[in-house]
Amino acid sequence: MSVTSDKRAPGVRISDLSVVYRTPAGELPAVRGIDLELVPGTITGVVGESGSGKSTLALSLLNAVQPPGRISAGSVEIDGLGDVVALGGDDLRRARGRHVGYVFQAAQSSLNPLKTVGKQLLDLGRSHDVEDLPGLVKEARSLLDRMGMDGARVLDSHQHELSGGMRQRVGIMLALVLNAHLVVLDEPTTALDMITQATILRIIREVHEERGLTTLVITHDLGVVAEVADRLAVMYGGRVVEQGPTREVLGDPRHPYTRGLLQAIPRLVGDIDEARALPGRPPTLGTIPADGCVFRERCAVRMDVCETGEPPVLTQGPRIVACHAADMGPEAVTEPAKERQTVTAGVGDTPTTGEEQA
Amino acid sequence: MTLIGVPGRSGVIAVARRLAGHLARGLVMILVVTTISFLIIRNIPGDPMAAKYEKLVEQGMSPEAAQQAVNVLYGFMPTGSMWEQYLDYMKGLARLDLGQSLTVPGTGVSTVLMSAAKWTLIPVLAGTLLSFLVGIILGVYAAIKRQGKLGDLLAISGSLLHGVPQYVLALLLGAIFTTLIPILPAGGTADIMFEPGFNAGYIGSLVQHATLPVVTYALASYGGWILAMKSSVVTVLGDDFILAAELRGMKRSIIFRYIARNAILPLFTILALSLGLLFGGAIFIERIFNYPGLGLMLIDSITGRDYALMGGAFLLITVAIIIANIAADLLYTVIDPRVRSGGEAA
Repeated sequence: MSVTSDKRAPGVRISDLSVVYRTPAGELPAVRGIDLELVPGTITGVVGESGSGKSTLALSLLNAVQPPGRISAGSVEIDGLGDVVALGGDDLRRARGRHVGYVFQAAQSSLNPLKTVGKQLLDLGRSHDVEDLPGLVKEARSLLDRMGMDGARVLDSHQHELSGGMRQRVGIMLALVLNAHLVVLDEPTTALDMITQATILRIIREVHEERGLTTLVITHDLGVVAEVADRLAVMYGGRVVEQGPTREVLGDPRHPYTRGLLQAIPRLVGDIDEARALPGRPPTLGTIPADGCVFRERCAVRMDVCETGEPPVLTQGPRIVACHAADMGPEAVTEPAKERQTVTAGVGDTPTTGEEQA
Repeated sequence: MTLIGVPGRSGVIAVARRLAGHLARGLVMILVVTTISFLIIRNIPGDPMAAKYEKLVEQGMSPEAAQQAVNVLYGFMPTGSMWEQYLDYMKGLARLDLGQSLTVPGTGVSTVLMSAAKWTLIPVLAGTLLSFLVGIILGVYAAIKRQGKLGDLLAISGSLLHGVPQYVLALLLGAIFTTLIPILPAGGTADIMFEPGFNAGYIGSLVQHATLPVVTYALASYGGWILAMKSSVVTVLGDDFILAAELRGMKRSIIFRYIARNAILPLFTILALSLGLLFGGAIFIERIFNYPGLGLMLIDSITGRDYALMGGAFLLITVAIIIANIAADLLYTVIDPRVRSGGEAA
């Protein structure tokens, strides 16, 4: 794990985070009891299928879950900022952009179509009471130049004059220009062509190292995670089912879902039929089972206990797996499954994470 | 490199090229519309002489006297074939001569149009702009508060007013403010006791007489604006860049400006077109309040079979709508950068 030792990079501790969405059928959990730590200076990748709750998790880092959703329990502690779940009003607004940079999915248009990039940059500066606006413009230009674009020209362009890859780099610039050291990238390469994807990933990696950031990359693409992330968390049905150092998780997956994901990837060599899709479909907000393991319907190693019992959280060194069937070896520490039926906003039960064990 | 998005040299050329294309197309359209309206007008059953004759008989003149009077009045009626009349008409148009009015003998059509236009333009323009402003502002509120009672109320008021026909509204307001609570005059443009001119009494009387037509017109079109603005704002609120701006910690006031400017854009087309249509006058409202605008004039010219005046009125409406279209298009090249660069995007 390559850790850039930069004092400015903040650590993030997500504890027992739950997010619910109000629906006609009552409040349904999109994210339930997530414990995840972002180690300062690392890139953490979160992978999961559509609807696994990964984007909701990303928005939680800015306390920006959109109605009808809301954070119902848990905390998101960011160094130098405190618990963002408790933030509100102008404090929260100031934290967004300045402390936490958010980069939108590439396919989305995150710019006002009527204004040039430069004018929107100035709006951003004014929103955060930046006194030295020319300095801000200079910083933006050098960031854009750094990412292989003509900074001056890009600042003078409207969104429709930029390609997808260029827009994504503008998005990264806007997330960094106020000197945020925690950056959240939501599907940063989705809908980009292969070459541009590779460029964006290289830029993410390089900018991360150069500026000493703590980075969270949300993606459905295991390839992206393998490319950039130091640590990896796999989400399914609103839970983190497995996490650990990227190489170890991908090289030796312990959770049946992670194994299924890896088996579904076609290989360059060998028979195409060796790639097997996971049977069944991922649960939606309404079909996530309330008790037991969320993955059991599609699981190859399903047992009776999966129906009723919350999977135990097994910790071995830096790796954590939540599964009844996982065998972590003799030195594994088993933490009994937490009581999740009663959702409380307590911070007291901070879980044992891999880093603390290591 | 500047940060200010001035259209620049290429922008000016693009605008000029657009304008030239529009003008050429506009001329062709005018030619087609005048030809069609000439044919339609000349083929309406009845003719100006018959219409006048009937009118005089209705007024109590004996048929013989009426016939004689009509013969005297319309001694100058053209007698050539339809084709010759058409050529004459077009030749006149080319010299910007709209011909003589038949219902107001001895007066040029352009003079009649001008005097009617001033009674339409100011009230209808005032009504349109008033309802546009109020509708836009309330539309934004209706969109933001769409889950609350206020939003519901605004949207319902919009649908209701949009659904009520202009003449019902005009009759209702007329009944209320001239009969039930007689505080406003029932018709006309000003009291005859005042000397027309720039004096307080006359102007006050003008405003008083214009109030009902303006308010009726504004109320009748307000519903359309509020509904259009509401749906436009709701669309923009769902756009990704608004959430993006929020996640970047932009100030509320700045985000509000982003929303407003993006939402109002599509409404400019409707505004420009309704400004063009304004030259058709507000027929029902002018008739009910006996306001001598273009709408009332158009009706009179049709009942009197005043070919030249009808032709002139239709020509005016056509030209106004064509100009409004051109203006809307040029406006977009100024306010929407996506139109400005017109496919020459990098």
